Amino acid sequence: MSVAQGTVLSGLGVGLNSAVGEVHIVKPQAPLPEWTKSSKSVDEERSALKVAIANVSENLDALGVRAGGTSAEIFEALKFLLEDEELFEVAEGNLDDGWTAGAAYGMAVNTFAEILGGDPDFDERVKDLQDLSRRVQADLAGIEMALTLPEIGRYVLVGDDFSPADTAQFTKAVVGVITLKGGPTSHTAIICRSRSIPAVVSCGAAADLENGDTVLVDPVGDRVVFGGDETLATKAIEFVALNAEPVIPVRANIGTLADAEGATAETKAEGVGLFRTELLYLSANTAPSIDDQVASYSAILAAAPAGPIVVRTIDAGSDKPVPFLNMPHEENPSLGVRGYRLIQDHREFIEDQLKSLELARVATGREVWVMAPMIATVGEAKAFADLARSIGGYKVGVMVETPSIAAMIEQLEGVVDFVSVGTNDLSQYLFAADRMNPSLGALLNHWQPGLIRTLARIADGGKKAGISVGVCGESASDPAFAVVLAGLGITSVSVSKSQVTVVRNALSSLDLGACKEIANKVLAATSPEAAKAAALDALSQL
Amino acid sequence: MSAIAHEVEVLDPIGLHARPASQIVKLVKESGLTITIGREGEEFVKANSALMLMSLKIKTGEKLTLQIETEDSTVAGEIAGQIQEFLKG
Repeated sequence: MSVAQGTVLSGLGVGLNSAVGEVHIVKPQAPLPEWTKSSKSVDEERSALKVAIANVSENLDALGVRAGGTSAEIFEALKFLLEDEELFEVAEGNLDDGWTAGAAYGMAVNTFAEILGGDPDFDERVKDLQDLSRRVQADLAGIEMALTLPEIGRYVLVGDDFSPADTAQFTKAVVGVITLKGGPTSHTAIICRSRSIPAVVSCGAAADLENGDTVLVDPVGDRVVFGGDETLATKAIEFVALNAEPVIPVRANIGTLADAEGATAETKAEGVGLFRTELLYLSANTAPSIDDQVASYSAILAAAPAGPIVVRTIDAGSDKPVPFLNMPHEENPSLGVRGYRLIQDHREFIEDQLKSLELARVATGREVWVMAPMIATVGEAKAFADLARSIGGYKVGVMVETPSIAAMIEQLEGVVDFVSVGTNDLSQYLFAADRMNPSLGALLNHWQPGLIRTLARIADGGKKAGISVGVCGESASDPAFAVVLAGLGITSVSVSKSQVTVVRNALSSLDLGACKEIANKVLAATSPEAAKAAALDALSQL
Repeated sequence: MSAIAHEVEVLDPIGLHARPASQIVKLVKESGLTITIGREGEEFVKANSALMLMSLKIKTGEKLTLQIETEDSTVAGEIAGQIQEFLKG
C-alpha cells in the first residue's frame, strides 16, 4: 500500500530533534526451515555441519572481542557448548539416520535440553543452547541472524520494536527510528534518547511504509510525516534559561564510572539522583568481595558531579538475574522477587552492599543517600531504613514504584529521609501494563492523567511528611514534563546525562509559581494528548 | 591401561554448572588423557563434554570420583588437584 505525500502517522515522540531519512524496514527474521531427511550423503551433511559450527564459532569470537572484558568470557563459554564433542556425536547419530545437518544438530540440542531441563540452575544454559542451535541452523539455511545495517547514508529504521542486541548494531547511518509497537520506556526509546537519535515509537500506521520512502521523524510533534522535510518539523519550545539556577535541582542518572565522569565533565548536574548499582554485579560470576565493592564505589563516588549522590541498592530479579544470586525462574518476573525483596534469601549480600557503600562514603567524604527499590509497604520501608541506619551514616530513602507505597507517602514521616519516584515502573504497575509488552506502549506515556495525578498525591504526601520527593524515571527527561513535575511539588529530578542541559534550561526559564500554574492546567486534563497540549500551550504563552 | 581414581568435592554454591564444566573439559583436552567422572556406584561420563558433565546435575556438597587413565600418579594427582580448584566456585 502506498502512502500519500504529507500523510501524518501518529506515535509517541522520543527526543527533541527531528530527522529526515530513507525508510529501511527491519523485518522479523525469516523462519528456519522445517526438519527433513536429506537427499545428500551423510558425509556431505557432516561437512556442512562442521562448516556451520565453525562459522558460528567465528561469529562468537567476533562478538566476544566487541563486548570485551567479562562479557568475552560468556562468549568463550558459549563456544564450549557449541563445539561440545558429545553433542556432535549425538548429531552424527542423527545424520546417520538420514537427517539434514540443521535437523541433526537441532535434534541433538533438544536431546541435551531435555536432559538438562527441569533444573532451574540450567535454564539459562538451555536457552543458550537453543540460541546456538538456531544460529547453526540459520547459517546452514543462509538466513541472516544478526541485523545488517548500512554504514553510510541517512536511514530511518522501521520495525516492530528493537531488542538490545539490535540497538547495539545501530550504525552512524541510522538517523532516525520508528517502531510500530513499544512505548516511551521501551528499550528502543531509552537507547534512542541516550544516543540522541530522533524516534517515534508506538506508531502503528508506519506498517504502511516501504523501503526507499522518505520520511520526517518529528518526535516533538509525536508524528512521522511521509515525504516531509525539516521545515515541517515541530519546533521544540526553546527554553531560555533566565535564572542562574533551576527551580528544583537537576541531577544525573549514572551506572558506571564512565557515566559519573561524563556527567561531571559535560553537564552542570547537581549530584546524582540515581546510581544504578546492579551493573557492577550483573556480569560477575561470584559475589565481589567487600574490598572490591568499596574500590568500585569509591572510584564512582569520587568522580560523580558535586552534590548528593543517591545510590539505589541492587535492583535485580529473575528477568535481570545476577549470576551468583541464583534466582529461580518466575512466571512474572516484574511481579516477583526483585529489588529489596531479595532480602528474603540474600540478606547478607544487601548488608555487604550497604557496608561497602558506607566505607566508600567515609573514604571519599561524599554526601551519600541510599534507597531500596521495589518497596510495597511502610513496614518494608522501616525495615530497610533500620538496617541501613544500623550500618552507615547516609540519608535513607525508598523508591516509589508500587501503587501501594504511593498511597502511603504521608505515613513515611519519621521513617525515611526521602523518596524517589521511578516513573517507568510506577507506570507499569499503576496501569497493569508490562513494560516489555510492545503492544501496551501507549499506556506507559508519561502524560497519562492517571500517572500525573498519582505524582501529585505523592508530592503532597511528601510535603506533609516533611520528606523530599525526587523523580528519576524517563519522564523527567522531557523538559516540559519536568516543569510540570516541579509545579506538582516534586523537589528534584534526575535524568540521563544527555538530557541534563535541556532539562536544566527548562527549569531555569521560569519561576515556581509559573510551574504551579502550568501543573494545575495539566491536572485538569483527562487524556494524555490533552495533558501534553495544555502544558505546551501554557509554556508557549510565557 | 590402568586408571587412577581420585575423589573431588563440589564446593561451588551453584553446583557443577557451565563454567567449571568448560574449565574441566579444557583441561581434559589439553592433557590428552581419557578421564571419566561420576558418582560412586552410578554410570560415569567422559569428561571431554561440558554438556555430559552438566547432565550429571551435581549439586553443592556432592562427592565425585575421577578415573584418570594413566600410569603416572603425579600427573593424575595434579589433574585432580586442578579439577578440585575448578569446583570451588
